[in-house]
Amino acid sequence: MCEWCGCGQPEEHHGHSHDHNHSKIIELNKSILEENNKIALKNKEHIEALGAVGINFISSPGSGKTTLLQETIKRLKPRTKIGVIEGDIETQRDAQRIREQKVPVVQLTTGGACHLDARLVHKGIHQLEHELDDNNLNFLFIENVGNLVCPASFYLGEHKRVVLVSVPEGSDKPAKYPKAFIDADLFIISKIDLLDYFDFSIDEAKKEALKLNPKLDIICLSSVTGKGMDEWINYLLNLIKKE
Amino acid sequence: MHELSLAQALIDQVKLLLKEHNANKVLRISVEIGPFSGIVIDSFEFGYYALIKEEPSFIDSKLEIITPPALYQCVFCGRKFKEDELTKDKRCPFCKDSFLTPVGDGDILLKEVEME
Ligand SMILES: Nc1nc2c(ncn2[C@@H]2O[C@H](COP(=O)(O)OP(=O)(O)OP(=O)(O)O)[C@@H](O)[C@H]2O)c(=O)[nH]1
Ligand SMILES: [Mg+2]
Ligand SMILES: [Zn+2]
Repeated sequence: MCEWCGCGQPEEHHGHSHDHNHSKIIELNKSILEENNKIALKNKEHIEALGAVGINFISSPGSGKTTLLQETIKRLKPRTKIGVIEGDIETQRDAQRIREQKVPVVQLTTGGACHLDARLVHKGIHQLEHELDDNNLNFLFIENVGNLVCPASFYLGEHKRVVLVSVPEGSDKPAKYPKAFIDADLFIISKIDLLDYFDFSIDEAKKEALKLNPKLDIICLSSVTGKGMDEWINYLLNLIKKE
Repeated sequence: MHELSLAQALIDQVKLLLKEHNANKVLRISVEIGPFSGIVIDSFEFGYYALIKEEPSFIDSKLEIITPPALYQCVFCGRKFKEDELTKDKRCPFCKDSFLTPVGDGDILLKEVEME
C-alpha cells in the first residue's frame, strides 16, 4: 500500500438516515470532489516531503504554458532543482520539449479527459521519483491539459495555482471563465509582445480578474522578449525562500 | 467535458453508500451545483444518465439538481445581493459601485440519496 494515497483504507461516510416506507433517505452534504480533494492533500504532503513547492498551470490550449516553462527552466536550472509533470490528452510532445532541457519530467496522458485529477498526479509524482537522483526538489511544475474550464474544478495538491491568458485570446476571458480565476493565486497575462496587434486591454483583464478574486497576484510577461520574466522568477524564488 | 468525470465520481460515491446501507437500488439522488462551479448542468445530467445505463442498481434512479443563486458582494459597502438585484449596468443596488466579487459555492455537493 502506498503511504501517500492511503489506498485500501475503508471509506468513511457520515450522514443521517431515516426510513421512508421501504425506501431509505440518506442526508449528506458531501462534495463529489471530496475523493479527489483527499488524494490532493496527500499529493501536497508528498510534494512537501520532496522539499518542493507545487505549481499548477492552467490555461486554454496554446496560451504559452510549455514555452513559459522552458524559459523558466533556462533561468532557474542553474540554481534550483526542478521536476515537471506534463498533462496532455494524447501526445508526449510537451514532455519531450522539457526533456531536451535535461530536467526530470513525466508525461501523463489523460486518454481523452480534459483535465488532470489528483489520482493521475499522484501516479505522476511516483513516476517522477524514479527520474530523480535524490528525492529532493525545489519546484514541481504541473502543466495541466490545455483547457480553461475543466481543470479549474480539480485541486491537485498544488501550493500555487497559476492561470494564464495570452494577449490574442482577449481581455474578456476572466469575466467569461470565472471559476479559473476564483481559485487561482497568480494570473499571468502572456505574450505581451503581441499587444500592438490585438485589442487586448490589460486594464480590463486585471480589473475583471480582481473582481473575481481580490487576492490574485498578476504578472504580465512575454516568453519571447523576456519582458516581465524577472518579476515571475522573483515570484518563484520567494516561494522557496526559507523564512 | 469534466462533467462526465464528475458524474462518474457521483456514481462511485453512491455505490459505496448502497453497500454501507445494505440497499440495492437507488431511487433518487439530490445534488447541489454551486453557481460558480463552471459545471454545465445539461452535460452533467447527460453524463449521469449515459453512465447509469451500465449500472443495474441505478437504472430507475432520478437525478435531482439544486442550483442556488449566485450571490455578489460589493467591495465598497460590503452588502450581498443576488444577480437579479444588480442594476442594469451590473452595479451594486445599494451604493452603485461596480466592484463586485462573487460569493458562494464553486463546489458540487451530494445532498441526499433515496435508496431501497
Ligand atoms: N509571440 C509569442 N508567442 C508565444 C509566446 N509564448 C508562446 N508563444 C507561442 O505560442 C504557441 C503555443 O505555445 P505553447 O507554449 O505550446 O502553449 P501551451 O499553453 O503549452 O499549449 P498546450 O500545451 O497545447 O495547451 C507556440 O507557437 C509558441 O511559440 C510569447 O510570449 N509570445
Ligand atoms: Mg503545452
Ligand atoms: Zn455597494
